[in-house]
Amino acid sequence: MYVVTGLARQYKAYLIVIGGHRLGGRLAAMLHLMPDKPDLSVAFAGLKLQTPLVLLSGCVGFGEEYTRVEGFSNRDIGAVILKGTTLKPRLGNAPHRIYETPSGMLNAIGLQNPGARHVIEHILPHLPHDETQFWANANGSTLEEYAEVARLFDDSPVTAIEINISCPNVKEGGVHFGNDPVMAAKVVEAMRPMTKKPLITKLSPNNADIAETARCVIEAGSDALSVINTLVGMAVDIESRRPVIGNISGGLSGPAIKPVALWKLHQTRTIAAKHDIPILGQGGITNARDAIEFAITGADAIGLGTGLFYDPLLPRKVLDRLAEYLTAHNISNYTNLIGTLEIQA
Amino acid sequence: MHESFRNMIFEEQAEVIANIHYPGDQFILRLKAPKTAQHAKPGQFIHIRVSPDRSLRRPISIMLTHPGKGTVDLLVKVVGDGTRELRDRAVGEILPLLGPIGRPFDLSDTARRYVMIGGGVGIPPMIFAADALNGQADTAVFAGSEVEFPFALKPSQFLLPGIGGNTILGIASLEERGIPSRLASNAELYGCYEGYVPDLARDYLMALGEAERSRCILLACGPHPMLHAVARLGRELNLSTQLSLEEYMACGIGGCAGCVVKTLEEDGEHYRRVCVDGPVFSADILPGFA
Repeated sequence: MYVVTGLARQYKAYLIVIGGHRLGGRLAAMLHLMPDKPDLSVAFAGLKLQTPLVLLSGCVGFGEEYTRVEGFSNRDIGAVILKGTTLKPRLGNAPHRIYETPSGMLNAIGLQNPGARHVIEHILPHLPHDETQFWANANGSTLEEYAEVARLFDDSPVTAIEINISCPNVKEGGVHFGNDPVMAAKVVEAMRPMTKKPLITKLSPNNADIAETARCVIEAGSDALSVINTLVGMAVDIESRRPVIGNISGGLSGPAIKPVALWKLHQTRTIAAKHDIPILGQGGITNARDAIEFAITGADAIGLGTGLFYDPLLPRKVLDRLAEYLTAHNISNYTNLIGTLEIQA
Repeated sequence: MHESFRNMIFEEQAEVIANIHYPGDQFILRLKAPKTAQHAKPGQFIHIRVSPDRSLRRPISIMLTHPGKGTVDLLVKVVGDGTRELRDRAVGEILPLLGPIGRPFDLSDTARRYVMIGGGVGIPPMIFAADALNGQADTAVFAGSEVEFPFALKPSQFLLPGIGGNTILGIASLEERGIPSRLASNAELYGCYEGYVPDLARDYLMALGEAERSRCILLACGPHPMLHAVARLGRELNLSTQLSLEEYMACGIGGCAGCVVKTLEEDGEHYRRVCVDGPVFSADILPGFA
């Protein structure tokens, strides 16, 4: 096996020499001479993710819904972020909660959840923690509530806690913290002493300076960033002359926000890299090409949300194409693709 | 723990086998989707991508399956841009679908009489349910439409109590299988009851003897005013009532909680997901339907 692998490596090197870097890599891949599949695992805030794909909070229920679909595998997923959880149960918003928009959708679910204790006692024990990691998504209306949710999840099998300071769909808390860098940092400061698990702060694109918010939450103790949450929007029923969404406004997601998400990621990357803080990049990813764009721009992990509504089997397809891309570009592991954006002076 | 729950929904690249248009912007699609055809139960739906450009799939009730041929029949009415695009899909085109999805009707008590009430594009699940019962339980189907029915119709060979002499037409495919049916419309359609379909069902139920009536279970699918009327009817007559609901839907597999309906259960109010907690709910727990 070693000999075969060694020969293949030599051939690949030879092809690269004769054909140039890119062409050689492609020829090698076509001839199946690449000895190893690229390594798709990635380090993230002290965790090792088996793949860079993270299923995003609010799109995948409390962890197991997508396994209903034949062909979906948790083992393709680096981490699944559970639905946003508050200290007490929340009923959520009245319907309609979702609406299709050009190249995207609006949602205003309103953080429907059974409360942190119920999640920890009745849901987490039944999740297949041997197949993938599960992360909590913590929400609150007050700093004390955020801190208490963090404390409860600290003693649970989740391996990280995402802080949702950017949910646009509840009347109190949520995005009101996220829109103010100082308040955002206070949320992180309140949670930091309550848990040793990595804290990932989910940033809102709806504030003026996302890089400043990033700096404040990093300095307050955030181990990672999640960029971006949805943009606030609305839609009107022209017959009833009422807002379509029961909550009036909703969060806009899907391909429509992808350019915004990439730009916000780019803006955040500099400050995050300075502190060696990883970013979970997300916003409108519906195929491998989108995912690769995020990786190049600086996404250590890649979030899939609305794209799963297009295709619940998207993760496997993204991984296959991502591996092909890495092979064709002679990149041995995903980590070496992260943040390779070249900007000419 | 979750093995029984896994792999119950299939992603299929469904070929359009037929697309037949009917008056009132209705059309019947026949799709090749063998796994859905094999596993679907009455009340379940498919979640279909009508075009690559649309971000959300469309949930559509299953009207009939042909497991041997691997096909699924759907009745659709154009109500917006998505269903309009679906209407324009040609034979041979491929549409990705997820199916079968959702909690089906409970048809398990064959000692009961199933009274099925469908309105418009809510008729298909009734046809599927009647077909699936296959004479194992007493069944009567009542269908309402404000546009021409997209089915072959024929005078019913079965007498039903409480039904007026002019209400003679039934759905041919059901009649041929020995399942009695009658139609209602406000569009002055020949051979149909003039009025709303819950009122036609009510006439039938009231004409049954009390013992026979108490044996009935109501199943309904259709527009909200019709479901309200059926829920009221069920409560008035103290009959078990199952309603199939629809709501704007995103994932269709329980992930997003976008497609909810408010329920009132023993432990209080909840929003339940129409996609996987429904689409069929007992009217007893739906405070919004009365």
